[in-house]
Amino acid sequence: MNEATRRGTEALRRSGDATRYLVGGLGTGLPALLAIGPVLVFLALLAFTLPWLPDAVKPLRALAGMERRRAARRLGREIPEPYGTADVKPEDARRLLRSPALWRDVAWTLAHGFTALVAAVLAVGLWPAIPFSFSLPLWWWAAPEGSQSAFVTLDSWPKALTLPFLQVALDAFLLLWLVPRLARWQALLAEALLRPTRRTSLTERVEQLTETRAGALEAHGAELRRIERDLHDGTQAQLVAAALRLGLADRRFDADPDAARALFLEARDGVEEALTDLRTVIRGIYPPILSDRGLAGAVRALAAGRPIPVETDLTDARAPAAVEAAAYFVVAEALTNVAKHSGASRAWVTVRRDGALLRIVVRDDGKGGADAGRGSGLAGIRRRVAALDGATRVDSPDGGGTTLEVDLPCGS
Amino acid sequence: MRIVIAEDNVLLREGLVLLLTSDGHEVVAVADSGPDVLPALLEHRPDAAVLDVRLPPGFRDEGLRAAVEARKQLPGLPLLVLSQYVEETYAAELLAGGAGGVGYLLKDRVSRVDEFLDALARVAAGGTALDPEVVSQLMTARRDPLRALTPREREVLGLMAQGLDNATIATTLVITERSVSKHIGAVFAKLGLPPSDSGHRRVLAVLAYLNS
Repeated sequence: MNEATRRGTEALRRSGDATRYLVGGLGTGLPALLAIGPVLVFLALLAFTLPWLPDAVKPLRALAGMERRRAARRLGREIPEPYGTADVKPEDARRLLRSPALWRDVAWTLAHGFTALVAAVLAVGLWPAIPFSFSLPLWWWAAPEGSQSAFVTLDSWPKALTLPFLQVALDAFLLLWLVPRLARWQALLAEALLRPTRRTSLTERVEQLTETRAGALEAHGAELRRIERDLHDGTQAQLVAAALRLGLADRRFDADPDAARALFLEARDGVEEALTDLRTVIRGIYPPILSDRGLAGAVRALAAGRPIPVETDLTDARAPAAVEAAAYFVVAEALTNVAKHSGASRAWVTVRRDGALLRIVVRDDGKGGADAGRGSGLAGIRRRVAALDGATRVDSPDGGGTTLEVDLPCGS
Repeated sequence: MRIVIAEDNVLLREGLVLLLTSDGHEVVAVADSGPDVLPALLEHRPDAAVLDVRLPPGFRDEGLRAAVEARKQLPGLPLLVLSQYVEETYAAELLAGGAGGVGYLLKDRVSRVDEFLDALARVAAGGTALDPEVVSQLMTARRDPLRALTPREREVLGLMAQGLDNATIATTLVITERSVSKHIGAVFAKLGLPPSDSGHRRVLAVLAYLNS
């Protein structure tokens, strides 16, 4: 097959694909065409029809959804849905009216309804037009009044022998050049109108941030309550008991020195216990070694105190205290997991600043199969990272070791 | 003994001075911030120094750094470091030089006056005093190599690592000194360490093994 033939068949194949796409467009185009009337009436009478809007939107969205998937396949890229939430509740009618997605769906219905049928008929009609034109010289003389071309009357042999070929050339040009473009324009039209606008994407992002922020505030609140409870029920109570014993010892000091001495010792024990509790609470709020040695030093210390060798690759870049505390927690928890569950013989910890992100990678050569759904350690890591709007990824194939990756935004 | 104290909290500093002078020691200098520590130590060359880890101006580990620096300039200077919390990394740094005369204790231990004075005396005599919490941290972290030890041997190793001598270990565990040395012999054998007599060298040997 020579080059020209190959390119010719390739062009024909493309045209055939495009034709099929345009014919497929009837699947959404005809319903859209039929919907134009009702949609316009519905919108004209909106003052009365508003309560039914949420119900009316559903078939429209279903139709738009079909077209979105069809166009996505044709264009080879995803077209996300612009609707915030999947199901629409009856009380959402007014909110719906203000959403750009609704009006863009309506605009697409009008545009597609008016054009899909024309495009499909054109594309399909062009194919039989070629053999028809070729056959003209065979029978034009038999036709009454001798007129069988699309634009020109064939009434003489010279015309009959030239015009059909011009016609075929025009036909072929339309088939090979216009039809693929028509299909592309149809898909682009769907994409332009049915994907989320920049504004809706931003709205979604804001909603997501609001959610993670709410999560962060809640986690923070729970943390404050826990600290308060630990201090109030533990440390404070112990100190009160110790002070009480000292008071009693004072009263007994002259009368019964031995009993007083025993009380003094009990008071000391109480104070020591309170100090131990206090240390635990302080560690939970902010590990002291972080402020002493910074994140790199603290992680190095974490790695040093492990039963298996841990290699570290750390940069000294500092991050906000909350981020460093979370990073420290992630590494500590991950290394505890490695020691407890993985059966690994080595582990690697990487902490580096990557622009506005602090990236943490903890890897081991253990047996893998870590499940974020089961382990409370991984769930704790996820929660803590999500509260800072970070991302957690776990890759743990059976028998292939475990890699935990965490990105924490540093806000600069 | 002539002692230098570095502690920024006034109450605790006064308490330490009171405690040490009432025991017959002489406090020759007190420092209340990181940069003052080294000059005070170099000027007075005390028999022992009691240092807080966190000191102004940075409230990080100025005290510890001063201690490490002082030991470089005055090898063998006995130092007892006090901290609000224990961190095995710090213990390792203090002991890194290899010589004795080093202690690392939780501040709480001050309330056990006798034990505290005992630890200070041990440090001043060139021995070692490690906080039981540091030791237990090390023991937890390095459980694997210690698996071969019996519970009693582990107990003995723990007390040994704190810097106690055989007689004290025997009293603490209410066993004879002979069985203590038998246990220690077994520990060294199981950990593959050559036996040795002096307290701090035993601790260093154990720590070196645990940190390897």
